[in-house]
Amino acid sequence: MGKSKKLLFGIVGVPPLAVMAELAADGSTIVDLDEPQGKIDLETASPFLPRVYCGILRTVIANSLTIKPDVIYIDTGAGKCDCAVHTATVLEDILPQTTIIRTKNQDSTGFGTPLCKAKMDLVDKMSAITSGVQLITPDDDIQPCSPTAGFWGVPPRDFSLLSFFPDTTHIYGWARCMENKTPDNIEMECHYNPDIPTVFFAQSFCAKTALARHLANKHPYALYLDCDVTAGNSVKAKIQAFLELSGVKV
Amino acid sequence: MLLADFGTSYCKLLETDSGEPPTLTPTRDLDRKSIKVDIATGHNGKRYATTYINELTALAKGGLSLIDEPSFTLLDCGSRDIKYVIYEDGKIKDMGWNAECGASMGFTIELLEKYYSIDFANLPIPKSSFSITCGVLGMSHIFDAVVSGESEAEAVAKFVKGIALNAYNFAKHPEKIYLSGGLCDNPLFVGSFPCSVVPLGRFVLLEGLQASSAPSAR
Repeated sequence: MGKSKKLLFGIVGVPPLAVMAELAADGSTIVDLDEPQGKIDLETASPFLPRVYCGILRTVIANSLTIKPDVIYIDTGAGKCDCAVHTATVLEDILPQTTIIRTKNQDSTGFGTPLCKAKMDLVDKMSAITSGVQLITPDDDIQPCSPTAGFWGVPPRDFSLLSFFPDTTHIYGWARCMENKTPDNIEMECHYNPDIPTVFFAQSFCAKTALARHLANKHPYALYLDCDVTAGNSVKAKIQAFLELSGVKV
Repeated sequence: MLLADFGTSYCKLLETDSGEPPTLTPTRDLDRKSIKVDIATGHNGKRYATTYINELTALAKGGLSLIDEPSFTLLDCGSRDIKYVIYEDGKIKDMGWNAECGASMGFTIELLEKYYSIDFANLPIPKSSFSITCGVLGMSHIFDAVVSGESEAEAVAKFVKGIALNAYNFAKHPEKIYLSGGLCDNPLFVGSFPCSVVPLGRFVLLEGLQASSAPSAR
């Protein structure tokens, strides 16, 4: 790493803790490429990825093309998805000045999941989980609450769909694995609470739609939901109606 | 109290204090500048109402009010979308709202009825159907069939049956469907479902609004 220029790092998925610790030790600037960054036009990605493709990985391509990080760590293991494997190949070809480093996060030491169980606005809670990817020490100072609703799935491309849930919503699925820093943990990913109404969410065109729908079918009070880039009226209405008709106080 | 279900093609209005039945007005004929209602649901309803209830909630509450069974599937086929709620033992079990793929069904059926001057009451239910995912994509099947020598009426009937089967599958293929929406008045559509169908008419969502405003709503 050169001393004259501070490198800009991009991350996709949850890179292994050792990688994040190294970046933290260097005081590196890190951009989470999975998340929308400012007003970057998603169509920037369209020449390189099909429009009918995971909205998060389209976001990765659009962010990468616009921000042009010096180095991108992209997790391509089972803790992310097959689509990320191919996205890494695309990134290598379209950003020759950027070093693309593929990782396979198989960390198995749990950090705990206090945020997922906390009483907190769900948008803020999910934001804390996604920004927590860059933390290398666990936060134990958060008390759990008794859940009244559940959100199972990945952090959505459009966080606005989380705004309809009560503060007492517990988070399950891959987002919980994310907070635990064990993204390749299928047992934790499949866990849900059958006693609370739960929305099983996946991004449209993501392989996790199969697991989301499968688990929703097993859960006694569940709504399966998929959403592409932005949450339209029907997505929002489904969440609102499901929670209201399930007797959840929002 | 004035209640309104603002549909894409038709607006359903009910003045609860009048004792009169609900009225049906083409949405394009609404006086958008002056209309103001107390409770609304439907497309753009928020603009004209003091209180807004979303379509799925209104549908579910309408179903609970009209259907005296603890378990049921209620499917609403509108002009631009389809939506359903499933209750099991008095609790919400599942719901869906398809406004993208599977959309424009009612709109397309009405369009075809006028374009081909078809009387759906006199059209026999066909044995087969087209494989259709939405109204717009299904249109090409009709043109292909007509080019291949089928009558326009036969082709449209297969199209309508395909739409009914698609809606049936979307609602998780129940043994009995309670049907809501203007297509309740289309005997070809109703008869094309491969299950028992109980048409509830166009005013189920209005019923849901009424139930929402009543203190003893179930």
